[in-house]
Amino acid sequence: MIEKNLTGFIAEFPEYTELRMQENTSLNIAYVNGNLMANNRNVQSGISARVYKNGVWGFASHPDLTEQSAKSVVKAATDNARFLDSREKRGNPSLPQVSGTMEKAFFTKKKRLNQNELIGFLKEIDVYIGKNLHNVMSRTVILRTLDMEKSLITSAGTVSYSMIPRSNIIILLSADKEGAPVELYNVFGSLGQFEDVFENPGDLFKGIDVLHGHLMKKREGVFAQAGVKECILDSHLAGILAHEALGHTTEADLILGGSVAPEYLEKEAASPLISIIDFANTALEVTCPVPVYIDDEGTPAKDAVIIDKGILKGYMHSKETALHFSVNPTGNARAYLFSDEPIIRMRNTAILPGRDKLDDMIKSIDDGYYLLMPSNGQADSTGEFTFGIPLGYEIKQGKLQKAILDTTISGIAFDMLKTVTMVSDEMVWENGGFCGKKQMIPVGMGGPAIKCSIMIGGK
Amino acid sequence: MVDKDKARYGLNSLKKRGADKAHVILSESARHELNVESGDFSLLRTTYNNNISFRVIKENKQGTFSANKLDNDSIDRAAETVFTMAQASEEDPAYAIAEKQPPDVFTRGREKPDLDLMYKRLKIFLDTIHQQYPKTIIRQASIDFTAYNYSFLNTNGVDFTTTIGYYTFGTIFTSREGKKASSFNYSHFCSTELDHELIEYGSIRTLLDQSSGQIELKNLDRKFDGEIIITPDCLNSFIDSFTYSFLSDYSIISGTSIFKDSLNMQVADSRLTLHAAPLSKEITTNYFVTRDGYRAENCTIIDKGVLRTFLLSLYGANKTGKKRALNNGNCYIIEPGDMAQEDIIRSVKQGLLVCRVSGGRPNDKGDFSVVAKNSYYIENGKVMFPVHETMITGNIADLFMNFKAISKERINFGTGIYPWVLAGGVTISGK
Repeated sequence: MIEKNLTGFIAEFPEYTELRMQENTSLNIAYVNGNLMANNRNVQSGISARVYKNGVWGFASHPDLTEQSAKSVVKAATDNARFLDSREKRGNPSLPQVSGTMEKAFFTKKKRLNQNELIGFLKEIDVYIGKNLHNVMSRTVILRTLDMEKSLITSAGTVSYSMIPRSNIIILLSADKEGAPVELYNVFGSLGQFEDVFENPGDLFKGIDVLHGHLMKKREGVFAQAGVKECILDSHLAGILAHEALGHTTEADLILGGSVAPEYLEKEAASPLISIIDFANTALEVTCPVPVYIDDEGTPAKDAVIIDKGILKGYMHSKETALHFSVNPTGNARAYLFSDEPIIRMRNTAILPGRDKLDDMIKSIDDGYYLLMPSNGQADSTGEFTFGIPLGYEIKQGKLQKAILDTTISGIAFDMLKTVTMVSDEMVWENGGFCGKKQMIPVGMGGPAIKCSIMIGGK
Repeated sequence: MVDKDKARYGLNSLKKRGADKAHVILSESARHELNVESGDFSLLRTTYNNNISFRVIKENKQGTFSANKLDNDSIDRAAETVFTMAQASEEDPAYAIAEKQPPDVFTRGREKPDLDLMYKRLKIFLDTIHQQYPKTIIRQASIDFTAYNYSFLNTNGVDFTTTIGYYTFGTIFTSREGKKASSFNYSHFCSTELDHELIEYGSIRTLLDQSSGQIELKNLDRKFDGEIIITPDCLNSFIDSFTYSFLSDYSIISGTSIFKDSLNMQVADSRLTLHAAPLSKEITTNYFVTRDGYRAENCTIIDKGVLRTFLLSLYGANKTGKKRALNNGNCYIIEPGDMAQEDIIRSVKQGLLVCRVSGGRPNDKGDFSVVAKNSYYIENGKVMFPVHETMITGNIADLFMNFKAISKERINFGTGIYPWVLAGGVTISGK
């Protein structure tokens, strides 16, 4: 538990200053083939200050949560900013004076489970898989939780406190195919502490059975045919598509770093069926997987509309990039650890649902693929994106056929999104994603299924 | 110097609670970092951190807990927590800690940074980019100096202290001309000194030389089975995939490694010799103690294509009945080959010079499908043009068996030393 209100330190700020106290608490329990391979907890907390002066920043952090530590990090960050300013003499204007007050904490009101009960919960899942699912070569059951608790004050007047937790159970199954493994995994869970997300191990069994069913089909799977194909990207893929294809290329720091996105501003960047928003905290009246109410430089967070009916409308901003582009900051500056400085990050990036039915979309394809699950991905300054596909099926004459083996899809976002001809009426959020851009950070990714042409790897 | 009394206090706190076996790892770090965003200095950062990590085994049950508070009350609370975790665990006789070894103190690198030199080197780097690479934008660059102090104590009498400090430089860049941009590229190095300009370390100048030539790309309009030359920057990701998918604790214990029964058997072409050398003087990011508390030793993982060791921890070794690895892996050094890099290119009839890949992680079997980034088409021994939207599909195990040449030249990143490698057996497909 950290101190909620840091206003007592505001007198220590000689320049534009942000002072943040933060504690990250994580838990990792893992069973591999019935062996408890991980039983770990980690708590990292500390205090940091960031100071802005004429276009450069100073930052300092320390693990001690004392008053003396707070004062010393403010002084060190101020010294750092002044050192850099004395060398650079950039003379940039002041940052936008935005501020807000907020307290939002997603602590469970239920009785916390102890380590014994948590391990028992996972054990029950492990035993279920071991007893009931056939032809499984190896099984892995992992619990990962992360509580991020932050308090922040800024010289611009922000006072905020938040505790945003996430709880995930990851199931990884492998089957034997002619002496070599074929694997599939799925991530269960969402925003919230464990007790609010998971009630009974049995609630996961149906999803695990579905995963196993796919694995058995993948065991008989074939390589995809390499080339550009008509594909249905399932709703579970829409979020990572939004994140990798358009999200990164429209982060304002990457715009300044050479991204091609400015060439499309206020122009057609996608099919008119496509709208993409980086939601701050609430989407379609539902709290997002990673809600951000005030970001880590003290800006009240707003939804960032990236694409509206195919037209590129704007970028995601920090205070500094908002100043550069003469727009309002969007509240996208986030930091992972107390010792990390806030940088522009996505929050909950989603494609908005359309009106089509998934079945109709599949029926409309003569020769292509239905791609169901994503793995890791990457974006490029050119708009080119890639991400892994561990699960998919062939579509022949509108019907699902054989499963395909692991592959990768890629495309140029601004070309590929123009090929979208159908968008389903679903809205599915992925709740377990992390984005790695200098620092790791939890992100939400969501959307419907889409029909498009895309490059797929294979034989 | 690390406050070893804190580590002793932690170990005693665990002993008082009745630990059968326990270890404590105490670390203290100080980092000074200069950052560049979009070609300009952006931030100077100073961060201090501590970490104390406890591992307790009680009646064959194990728990681990780590935190970054070092006062006695916090250490006692952490000791209590890790005990509760161990009690909740399951019995497994494979849980163990390192046996007693002679105490030792390891020191490498600098104690403190030269901040003025860091600033000067980075400033010259930015000026050089501005003057010599006018189309190239430094999206991000950072130079940091981090000093680490570790103390490793366990109830068997293990007592190791490590002090290490070095600079790390990394940069991400892209080139632009008109409405077009190149793919971003990146590289890094670690070094105990900054004797040279930053651009001269590792492969940084080579990649910058290439970047502006990658704005205009060409499509490969066909699919073929060809050869790829993997550059040192890119080879690292293939080595990491190989060691994780086939040699790690997880892959051996879960039984998914296709090489789980291949010790002392051919798993790669005989040209390949791969060392994990955490003690090498050629490597900057040395470590001297394994995660389990053993004095680290250099080892040869693949000797002329033959697998000589898995990368098993003490738990992994006890669990599988195989030998514990002499180190944690990383600090990889690949022995040089006998062909010049240019001769390797001349030997390729049709293929790619692969400088970076992007795509999904290889599966447990080693199948991979990736997009070749910042990469070039080679035909009849000549580098023809940089390619656009080109996929490479193959299998890592097959790829390693199909190494056809290894270059004499290597790049030392400070984290590892890698050559250029020519390999076959992949499918290359353009748009």
